Amino acid sequence: MQAILEQAGVVDESAIRVLVVDDNRTNRMVLTALLKRHDYEILSAENGQQAVELFERERPVLVLMDVMMPVMDGYEATRQIKKLAGEVFVPVIFVTALTDEGALVKCIEAGGDDFLSKPYNRTVLKAKIDALMRLREAYTVQLSQRRQLAYHQKHAEDEQRVAERLFAGIVHTGALDDSNIRYSISPMAIFNGDLLLAANTPSGALHIMLGDFTGHGLAASIGALPASEIFYGMTAKGFGIGDIVTELNKKLKNVLPTGLFLATALLELNFATGSVTVWNGGLPDPIMYNPQTGIVTRFRSRHVPIGIMDSQMFDRSVELFEMHETDRIFMYTDGVTEALNPAGEMFGQDRLESFFEQAGGHDSQVDQVTEALEVFREGGKQGDDITLIQIFCRPADAPSQSPGAAQRAAKPPAQWNFSFEFGPHALRNSDPLPMMVNTLMETQGIYDHRERLYTVLAELFSNSLDHGLLSLDSALKKTPEGFMQYYAERQQKLEKLEEGRIRVMFHHRPHGKGGRLEIEILDSGPGYAVGQARPELAANTGHSGRGIPLVRSLCKELIYNPKGNAARALYEWD
Amino acid sequence: MAVTSQCSSDGQELTIRVQGRFDFSTHREFRDAIQNCPRKPQRYVVDLRSTEYMDSSALGMLLLLREEAGGDSQAVSLRNANPEIRQVLTISNFQKMFVLD
Repeated sequence: MQAILEQAGVVDESAIRVLVVDDNRTNRMVLTALLKRHDYEILSAENGQQAVELFERERPVLVLMDVMMPVMDGYEATRQIKKLAGEVFVPVIFVTALTDEGALVKCIEAGGDDFLSKPYNRTVLKAKIDALMRLREAYTVQLSQRRQLAYHQKHAEDEQRVAERLFAGIVHTGALDDSNIRYSISPMAIFNGDLLLAANTPSGALHIMLGDFTGHGLAASIGALPASEIFYGMTAKGFGIGDIVTELNKKLKNVLPTGLFLATALLELNFATGSVTVWNGGLPDPIMYNPQTGIVTRFRSRHVPIGIMDSQMFDRSVELFEMHETDRIFMYTDGVTEALNPAGEMFGQDRLESFFEQAGGHDSQVDQVTEALEVFREGGKQGDDITLIQIFCRPADAPSQSPGAAQRAAKPPAQWNFSFEFGPHALRNSDPLPMMVNTLMETQGIYDHRERLYTVLAELFSNSLDHGLLSLDSALKKTPEGFMQYYAERQQKLEKLEEGRIRVMFHHRPHGKGGRLEIEILDSGPGYAVGQARPELAANTGHSGRGIPLVRSLCKELIYNPKGNAARALYEWD
Repeated sequence: MAVTSQCSSDGQELTIRVQGRFDFSTHREFRDAIQNCPRKPQRYVVDLRSTEYMDSSALGMLLLLREEAGGDSQAVSLRNANPEIRQVLTISNFQKMFVLD
């Protein structure tokens, strides 16, 4: 650091060195004698040429310059000295017998900082030198600070670049370069607060995750490391998106301070069953559209973003949509809709959605929207990270494999049964759902159906526990205030639960090319009327809806016993 | 001042108003404004009638306020949000964590 500054002539430890330039020997001597009294070290030159040479060799800090001299005049010498000095401030005072305004203007134009007419007053000369030396000092401090700043900035950028390479190894592109995906990532800084991940599951489905951390830059991107490890690791092991968001929330709630969170949507595109499963917490609605039919479907945000809710209140429930090979899905972060033009208007949702309302047209909406954004901004600065992705809802030509993924295919359908029973202790202290679903996956290997089976089981199980054993009123969940109250009550009742149990039985038989799974669930409660206690389910609206109608659509059959404490669901796969 | 606040005469309720853009640049002001009652108030009201824009940092600040208020969904009310801001709040399902009216 010190070396850099010294090399530039900014730091000078020796005595103040002044260069006196005059072709008249007497003048030089008078000035030298005067200045020596003030402890300056004096160099002298007889003409401009000599002055420039001396300056180059000795680097004086101040120059007293005559105008009219042989070989090279003071104007030219000053121009050359200022050029040699570069960004270091070397004051030049013209000491001249000329008094016409034109000549004085020329002194300043040549780069002079002040002038003094001969015959000069000694006190005024000294005062002018002092003033310029003070200016020089201020300038030198400022220059030194500027250089230090530049040095630190460069250092920080170098470090960021190293970190960026490390980062890229963990937050890698996964399946983003597969033939069924187009995407565009434009971070504002080196580090991106947006997170885009894609991976193929062991059973050939495609997982996509688009997230947007609060803020941007380094702080916003720190959470990307654990998030992508969880996403890639769990996808490779065959977990569904409900499992993944649960784990992401648990981890990020732990590591992110209050106020920092991840708005994200996870999608599972299941090409075999022609369906897409969605969990969206806080991301602008991804859009599924069909260029041939013009049908547009929005995957609305149903949840609070990741990293806010405690684990026991976290809602992992997903939505399912039918998907066709000619469908396309478009996802984006709010940097797109909130992009500003020079007049301060936002790009806006309407402008964006107009691209999907016209059927046919472009092959890549990513390019189309990127171009439109550029035109809209009219060269203005980007104000946020921007990420766009478009997925063609058909399998990739040569799907990339997740590193470390075990090839997992369904096992030949077999005949098997097993049952689980959970008492108060187990219900309080463990989540039985992942354990049951894992057992089903291990036994039959139907990873394609993991998310669906999880949804069916979760709904049946929470009905038995919440309404069967704990007698909670789900009407509570219809209002936002009731939503929190519902969970608080559930927690209380669960802690006080002393008796009661839930039994789950699975019977599997080969059926056609695949199998048929019968799920029976029985609770020891007094029974509850599914239809009457929960009328909002029929309409599939409100905050708690989506449950039973979704289960009905996934299952071949769903029957509750008259008492309302037992259900039987039939699920088929092929 | 983009953020102002006023404590009710009984000291039970603090009303915070955010003018113009509610984003990262208002972070310090917002933190100062929520400390404006002599004792900790029972309820907080964030009045968004003059708020023109809100980003995710602002959502983060609301979560900080909620934590300050004890983490209860009833303790913080968000009022008079214009349609755009209401949309920002509902995309993140903040109606589940705040009183939104």
